[in-house]
Amino acid sequence: MNHLIEARGLTLRYGRKTALDDVSFSIPKGRVVGLLGHNGAGKTSLMRALVGLAAVDGDLQVLGLAPRRQRVQLLESLAYIPDVAILPRWARVSQLIELMAGLHPRFSAERARTLLRRTSVGLGDKVKTLSKGMVVQVHLALVAAIDARLLVLDEPTLGLDVLSRKAFYEMLIEEWCDGERSVLISTHQVEEIESLLSDVLMLNEGRVVLSTSLEDIDRRFVALAHDPEAADAIAAAHPLLRYRVQGGSAALFDGAPPPELQALGRRLRPSLVDLFVALTRRPELNRTQGL
Amino acid sequence: MNRFLPLLRREWLQHRTGWLVLLALPTLLMLALAASDGAVHLRVNGGDTDLPALREAPALMQTVGWTVTTAAGTFLLAAVAVLFQLPGLARRDMQDRSIEFWRSLPCGDAESVAATLLMHLLVLPVAAFAAGALGAQLVALLSISLSHGPLAWLQQPWWVLLPALAAALARGLFGWALALLWLSPLLLLTMAASAWLKRWGVPVLVIASIAGTQLLDPRLPRPLVQPALERLGQEALGALLAARTANPLQLDRADDLRQALPALPGWLLHDAGQALAQAATPAFLLALAGGAAGFALLVARRRRVG
Repeated sequence: MNHLIEARGLTLRYGRKTALDDVSFSIPKGRVVGLLGHNGAGKTSLMRALVGLAAVDGDLQVLGLAPRRQRVQLLESLAYIPDVAILPRWARVSQLIELMAGLHPRFSAERARTLLRRTSVGLGDKVKTLSKGMVVQVHLALVAAIDARLLVLDEPTLGLDVLSRKAFYEMLIEEWCDGERSVLISTHQVEEIESLLSDVLMLNEGRVVLSTSLEDIDRRFVALAHDPEAADAIAAAHPLLRYRVQGGSAALFDGAPPPELQALGRRLRPSLVDLFVALTRRPELNRTQGL
Repeated sequence: MNRFLPLLRREWLQHRTGWLVLLALPTLLMLALAASDGAVHLRVNGGDTDLPALREAPALMQTVGWTVTTAAGTFLLAAVAVLFQLPGLARRDMQDRSIEFWRSLPCGDAESVAATLLMHLLVLPVAAFAAGALGAQLVALLSISLSHGPLAWLQQPWWVLLPALAAALARGLFGWALALLWLSPLLLLTMAASAWLKRWGVPVLVIASIAGTQLLDPRLPRPLVQPALERLGQEALGALLAARTANPLQLDRADDLRQALPALPGWLLHDAGQALAQAATPAFLLALAGGAAGFALLVARRRRVG
């Protein structure tokens, strides 16, 4: 099995609304993949399909299993944090560890305790007494103590302050990413996780508009910072996006712009946020360009 | 990996405070009653009796009396509490959103629902019966000590009492399990209605029952809904105690009681057999089918939300 996730032609509908429309992608091992999209783009639907919580049409294999039919088996090797603040509020942290140890064959209670000792959360603390950030840290510690091959995180830092988000990502990188295991993470804080990602999967209106590695993005997309006098010439070349950067103007191109245009500006590394805006603000254009 | 026991333990961890109160409360009340100074009047065998007069009863009779009342009281309290909690229980994990956490673990939906049902419907009431029976021994110790001295409690015929107590516990467990199976269509469909229709579930079910008995039954060649509901109730009571008239314990005299107690396990076994025989009908199969439908609806609902 070369890829941890293989998805071909996934389609998911809620009544008349199409949440996923012919989605295809694959994720190899050892990757940190950012799943990006606007609200309603289909991110949560896709993640729910990947962990067997939603039925989809199409071919989907996760860790070589059919998620819907083999959900229990799949969840033994796949860890999933669906959302913040879903840990049972009545439970103490030690009770959650005890229950996880009984319910998950690959869970290490000792490792969970070790991870939690690095946080400000006590084993005797009740979930309902913890702040949102602490709850997320507990959840990540519990999940990181699972010897799984794939971690799926659906907006895990939603509603957290910057310090809690930083603590979360530090724990994620230190305790989870080892080059063998993969992470699929969806978030709106694109700029915060850009440095963590190896790949990106962008969804727009239920369709994949980009599925590639960050190295490929650097090779394929070109941003040019330019003077205001060059604006007309740049606009005539139909860039994906024109935006402001460092007090000046810039334009983002899919592929290298013509040499005469390159001479008018200074080449920049396009940020993921700018690329996201460029690819998801005009879905009708994306479709015609076959991105 | 056996996940069912951890799922049962989860129920205990989540509800243990309330359950411990339920299990201990009747014993504590009975202890207070046994220690009271005679201000309490009880109606026994049709006549008013005050508590000091009951204390003069022989130790064996007191022990049996406290055991029956305390165990039955604890069981009834737990059963009533569970029945009132059932509709909310169906939506418990959805209301606090923890359903998403539980469904992110490698546990089957059917076993998760089954663990909840087993713990609340069977284990808790049976534990209440056992806790009441055990707590009653404390009550009896106090009551007998106050009237006859602590030695009288020790000198009771325990070799007769303990087997009778164990047989009663076993009969209670069997009877309650059988009663639950008879009542499973009502209980599980109520839960399913609550799970699917939220707060409208119980009202819809009540309205449907009234419509069935008042509107549908008169239009049918033979009434269907009301007799079915009555049958389920009667059979559930029969599962708990199949005998209608026999009273193996003559509580008037201690000597009768002493003679009757050794025969109690055999009589309870016979009664259990009678209850089982009553279940050998197509109606029981229909009841099981109704219960299975309710269970399937609960599992289906859980699959949809997580």
